Amino acid sequence: MGLVRVEHNISFKLNGEATTVKCPPAYTLLEVLRDQLHVTGPKEDCAKGECGACTVIMNGQPVCSCLVLASQAENSDIVTSEGLTKHGRLNAVQKAFIDHGAVQCGHCIPGMIVSASALLMRNSRPTKADIENALSGNLCRCTGYTKILAAVEDAVKRRRL
Amino acid sequence: MMRSEIDVLSPRTLEDALVLLQQHQNDIRIIAGGSDIIIQLRDGAVKTEKLLNILPVKDLRFIEERDGKIHVGALSTYTEIITSQPIRKHAWILVEAAKQIGAAQLQNTATIGGNLGNASPAADSLPPLYALGATVVTRNMSSRREIPIDRFFVGYRKTALKPDELIEEIYFDQLTRNDAGAYLKLGLRKANAISIVDVAAILREKRGDSYGDVKIALGAVAPTIVRAHSCEQDLIGKRLTKKSLQEAAKLASQDTSPITDIRGSAEYRRKIVSSLVYQALHKAVFGRAGM
Repeated sequence: MGLVRVEHNISFKLNGEATTVKCPPAYTLLEVLRDQLHVTGPKEDCAKGECGACTVIMNGQPVCSCLVLASQAENSDIVTSEGLTKHGRLNAVQKAFIDHGAVQCGHCIPGMIVSASALLMRNSRPTKADIENALSGNLCRCTGYTKILAAVEDAVKRRRL
Repeated sequence: MMRSEIDVLSPRTLEDALVLLQQHQNDIRIIAGGSDIIIQLRDGAVKTEKLLNILPVKDLRFIEERDGKIHVGALSTYTEIITSQPIRKHAWILVEAAKQIGAAQLQNTATIGGNLGNASPAADSLPPLYALGATVVTRNMSSRREIPIDRFFVGYRKTALKPDELIEEIYFDQLTRNDAGAYLKLGLRKANAISIVDVAAILREKRGDSYGDVKIALGAVAPTIVRAHSCEQDLIGKRLTKKSLQEAAKLASQDTSPITDIRGSAEYRRKIVSSLVYQALHKAVFGRAGM
């Protein structure tokens, strides 16, 4: 049997813009974002939902885009790390990561920033435990957690001013 | 079958989902939140021509209190379970388990119906559901079945679900203020850890210092979740003290048939299960895990 590629038109909101992409419906949202839409903030590492490098905000909640089918993103609202920057202005979490030098190799950082931003969107005054819990699904293999946690705590303070 | 060849059907109502399932039952697999099956599709453990994406079916997304029972729709996510007031109040051990499943990202997508359908012996929502004596409700186009949870799982990763059926909901009796219950999990880390052993314990029918109904369920120590019947029998009607809990917990390892895997040896699991059962019982009865 020859290869019969199935394709669907799938529409969703991506970083505020209506987007339609023609793709195999059983591809993952991550594959579509990176390979077809060239949105490369989310990364593929474990492909099992354990590392958080592919985290995007879907309908207001952080999810692993490697564990969502393209089909399942139909009509959803997707925000990647790129979409957290408005008119060239970084958000509070992004700025705090730069100011704290909370980056080593950088690979996990878009996922960290998306998870932390999703937390701040639903909870403007998270405790340290809330922050640790929100980032518990994001692994940093450089083990740069101290500065990452400090950056997020600082972003919380700055947003309160 | 490459993933680019797999078609995905996405019905919006339960009725449409059941019609599609009936039509395509020989070459279709159901996908809910996707956190297990997408991995299985990628590593080749699951091969299928079509996927039935039931995620848009709103009829399967509810948590309701009715007649002293809590009904949880199959598509309820762990985040929805963790934040549900009825479940927090009347089935708190399920909340304790849900909080320890994966991490935020997974809790936002993984569903209770998916956890049932995937039938992993290390699925963390299952020991609480066994201890709650839950009933699984399945549907096909013509009929509805109510299956006690211990009969829904028929073997290692095997369920009683027929090819034309899907899981509609799971329901269980509410716990009351007189009931005691606790859930404890031993994993290699606090988040994103598959259980080495997990324990759910519920004690009901309180009379003075004893209970007339005890259910203890163990995860990751047998091909399916198992009840610690020897331990339960020993506790029923007995005055509960630190010592009597310790003695009963020792019996729990008799009810297990663990394997050795990457997370722990069979011998370790048999030893640790008694400790974890004791701690869970102590937490349920005295409010904190015992030392």
